[in-house]
Amino acid sequence: MQQLLQQLINGITIGSFYALVALGYTMVYGVLKLINFAHGDLFMWGAYIGLTGLSLLATLLGGGGPVSIFPVAVIVMVTIALIGVLIERIAYRPLRSAGRLAPVISALGAAFILESLARNIYGASWKTYPTGLVPAGRVALLGGVRISIMQVLVLAVSFLLMALLYLFVYRTRIGTAMRAVSLDHEVSRLMGIDVDRIIATVFLIGPGLGGLAGMIVALYYGSFDFTLGWIFGLKAFISAILGGIGNIPGAMLGGMILGIIETLGAGYVSPQWKDVIAYVILILILIFRPTGLLGERVAEKL
Amino acid sequence: MLRKVLLLALAAVLVLPLFAGCKPKEAAPIKIGVELPLTGDYAYEGQGMLKSIQLLVDQTNEAGGLLGRKIELVVEDDAGDAGQASQVAQKLVDAGVIAVIGAYNSSATEPASVIYNQAGILHITPSSTATRLTEKGFQRFFRVCFLDDRQGLFAAKFMKEVLGAQKIGILHDNSTYAQGLAEHTKRYAEQLGMNVAFYDAINPADKDFTPTLTRIGGAGLDAIYFTGYHAQGGLLLKQSADLGLKLQWVMGNACNNPELIQIAGVENAAGTYVTTEPLPKDVNVPEAKKYVEDFKARYGEEPASVWWMMAAEAFNVIRYAIEQTKSTDPKVLAEFLHQAKNINGITGPILGWDEKGDRLGTIHVAYVISDKGEFILNPQQPSP
Amino acid sequence: MGNLMERLRRIPLAWQIGLLALAILLPLPLNDYYRAVLWRTGIYAILGLSLNIIVGYAGLFQLGHAAFYALGAYTSALLNLHFHIPLVLTWPVSILVAALFGYLISRPILHLRGDYLCIVTIAFGEVVRLALVNNIFGITGGANGLSGIDQTVLFGLTLRTPLHHYYLVLFFLVLTLFAVRRLENSRLGRAWMYVREDETAAEAMGIDTTWAKLLAFVLGSGWAGLAGALYVARIPVVSPDLARFIESVVMFCIVVLGGTGSIPGVFVGTLGMITLPEIFRFLKTWRDAWMGVAMVAMMIARPEGLWPSRRIRMEIRGEEEEAPPVPKPPVGIPQAPLDDLEESDPGESDLSGEVEELYTEEAYLRELLGESGQEGSEESTP
Repeated sequence: MQQLLQQLINGITIGSFYALVALGYTMVYGVLKLINFAHGDLFMWGAYIGLTGLSLLATLLGGGGPVSIFPVAVIVMVTIALIGVLIERIAYRPLRSAGRLAPVISALGAAFILESLARNIYGASWKTYPTGLVPAGRVALLGGVRISIMQVLVLAVSFLLMALLYLFVYRTRIGTAMRAVSLDHEVSRLMGIDVDRIIATVFLIGPGLGGLAGMIVALYYGSFDFTLGWIFGLKAFISAILGGIGNIPGAMLGGMILGIIETLGAGYVSPQWKDVIAYVILILILIFRPTGLLGERVAEKL
Repeated sequence: MLRKVLLLALAAVLVLPLFAGCKPKEAAPIKIGVELPLTGDYAYEGQGMLKSIQLLVDQTNEAGGLLGRKIELVVEDDAGDAGQASQVAQKLVDAGVIAVIGAYNSSATEPASVIYNQAGILHITPSSTATRLTEKGFQRFFRVCFLDDRQGLFAAKFMKEVLGAQKIGILHDNSTYAQGLAEHTKRYAEQLGMNVAFYDAINPADKDFTPTLTRIGGAGLDAIYFTGYHAQGGLLLKQSADLGLKLQWVMGNACNNPELIQIAGVENAAGTYVTTEPLPKDVNVPEAKKYVEDFKARYGEEPASVWWMMAAEAFNVIRYAIEQTKSTDPKVLAEFLHQAKNINGITGPILGWDEKGDRLGTIHVAYVISDKGEFILNPQQPSP
Repeated sequence: MGNLMERLRRIPLAWQIGLLALAILLPLPLNDYYRAVLWRTGIYAILGLSLNIIVGYAGLFQLGHAAFYALGAYTSALLNLHFHIPLVLTWPVSILVAALFGYLISRPILHLRGDYLCIVTIAFGEVVRLALVNNIFGITGGANGLSGIDQTVLFGLTLRTPLHHYYLVLFFLVLTLFAVRRLENSRLGRAWMYVREDETAAEAMGIDTTWAKLLAFVLGSGWAGLAGALYVARIPVVSPDLARFIESVVMFCIVVLGGTGSIPGVFVGTLGMITLPEIFRFLKTWRDAWMGVAMVAMMIARPEGLWPSRRIRMEIRGEEEEAPPVPKPPVGIPQAPLDDLEESDPGESDLSGEVEELYTEEAYLRELLGESGQEGSEESTP
């Protein structure tokens, strides 16, 4: 029982990371119907930019402690958001009327470039974040189950971001425009919506959040390398589909469920088969409920 | 006949640009091939190994080269992939190298070794430890690393004799190397009468191993042996401490790396044992110390992995053989190496090679990570 | 695909023989490395042609093709290792095993469309790779893979050099070419085209679309299995790396870069993805970045591919030159695909017939993928 509870906590933590990354996929898919294969690598770049920012700040100001996380987080979000917009402008926009295959190749190409750049610029070695930036304490809950302060923080931040994004999409004018664009580009244009601008906005927010997630992941685990993007990207995309792609609460739910499935798979079946279990469940869900868990309830998709 | 020749000549003209690499030799440097994964999942190891080799080559050339000739490295990237390995092996052969250092992983080394063997090139792998590689009867294939199976035996003995473990777990990461070591350790542990109660693998691409750790924590093990790499090893130590698990970790030589402690945090790493070749600082040969110092001076970092040293060792062995035989004929070099004894290696004295090309002897020792975050030689070692 | 046949027919026989002669003579003056490169090019051309059946003809997203390549290779290797069956005799089994898996996998997922199919095939590819890595049933040798495979003996001749293997692959490549050209022009080939262009209309015309799609998967997968077996014929080691996602991506790119559904396109794609990167080896660790740049640039410059089938080029470019031989659905069936019967979103179908720009975008999209709108996957369940 204690082990099960502990595994659930483990799973929710992993899941919240998947969910954060899944948001970017889900938003882009919503407006462009494009699997943004570069998203995982933008996420990875978030970790690298965060590392550069933290080290720069440390050399400029001589350490900065936990406070330095905040300005760096802003820098990361802005930088990755700009890269995201740039990719959209160069690699996706010219292909909007070119069918579905061409953008997939273009997206994969962008992913190759991002990964190769990271490996060549930062080197192939593992990078570690400075220690002591995040609280290391952990709380023992009843029955020996443990949750670390960092886990609580990560969960809180994920839910907060998710809620903000939800409010943004459903309560603001730009959000409404996004939903309109996701339904139909042409009608939106007739309604006076600047579709290009809306899509650019989506590419600001999605990758921005993805970059932030990259930095949080790196802070949480303390180390990463250039392959970070691929596995998280794939898992996050599965989360997005699981929850119903284009659906923000769905991404959250999908991430959590995938995290828990994986954890239980590793804990009770076999660690080396856990990914297989996750993929098989994905396949089953797509066969029997292709719209994902929350896909149907929400008529319009972002 | 004439027409055929003409046709060939025509075709040759057409494809001539493809042969840009085949310039006529002037002072004829000694060409040595390097086949390593410079991209792909093993890029970290591959690039570090290349740095190691480059360092020694540059030193050799600054000192006037070998036999009055410069050393020229021909570097090819196999991305750790068997298909590409056979491809670049062919390319190295065609480039006219006399010897090749590589490949990194056994599955890339194997198809390449067939091609090098056919071409009669001296082939030394710094890091491919799969037993089967040397069982093809290739006369010019050697390795400077030790077989997985020796370390497996050492680790099993260490856990039984020094730690007094009865019920152990073994965790690998599904890389060719780690899986091989895990299998051998399991075999020997069972032979020694221990109970291998947990045997599984993590996915090294993951960052979060808490599910696996929670499971291991519930298995009541006396010791757990991790055979994978330091990056995952560090995360395992950190996360098992986060979970409040009291596990006795023992790690293989791929965790013999200061970064292990950096990733794990000193307090979490302390008390972990590592089975490995002796660290340069504990190898009482000047070659090792000089190599580490030179490496630090040139690249501003420590040689991080055993394999980087092994790569340097591979070059060292080739250099030694050329110096001793005054020859660059692969046949002469290979025959020399088969009977060479007690070479001053960078990884400690090299006793020699057996007829299959496997390095003789074993030099594994157990280290323990101290409270200060240093690898120190464990006072107790298992019986040899 | 009739127009493509036409184009091929327009290539005079003399040219075809000339190309074949070139393919036979080309490796002779080359050194073994470039012969090996040509061998690899041939393997991937076969893979590209097999994937082209699935992606190009039937319009199904398949991003896990490497799994079948690996299955073929492992089948050949396992039969040789355990039962000492000569490699040559394992080839048909490799094809059958890969085809069987193609059947088993595709059967339940054929109703999925577009991106959903794409994700399922990625997931399937990963499942195969992980199963091989995890040493499933204790026979795949785990991450180390299998080794100790015999050399290929063909009619008493042991194939040793890259040149031998190049000719072996060339033989099968020509065979493949012949087969796919026949397929294109067969009843089945035309059925695929209908399915790709408009599934609903195809079904209304009495085409068993599920059967057609299934056959595309089975044939394409089986043929990839052959490529895997040919790989083993030269490289005596198989490892799970064969099923890596990146391999699937490369195969997918071969098909799309050259031009979906186009046979010459597959060759152009193979040159771009396999042969040229070999020549760019001097870029060392920047090679994959370069490949990425090339992929993006190529798609922007020519989204329809370098040597596309004319039909798809028109769809993308919206060129109005001579009417293509579109399969005209009988009267009474709505013209594909401007307003699908099952279109769930009234706002869109009202407009889509009128706005030219939207036509090119949406129409192509659906024509190519049989996609019936944004909620396509919902009503697609039979």
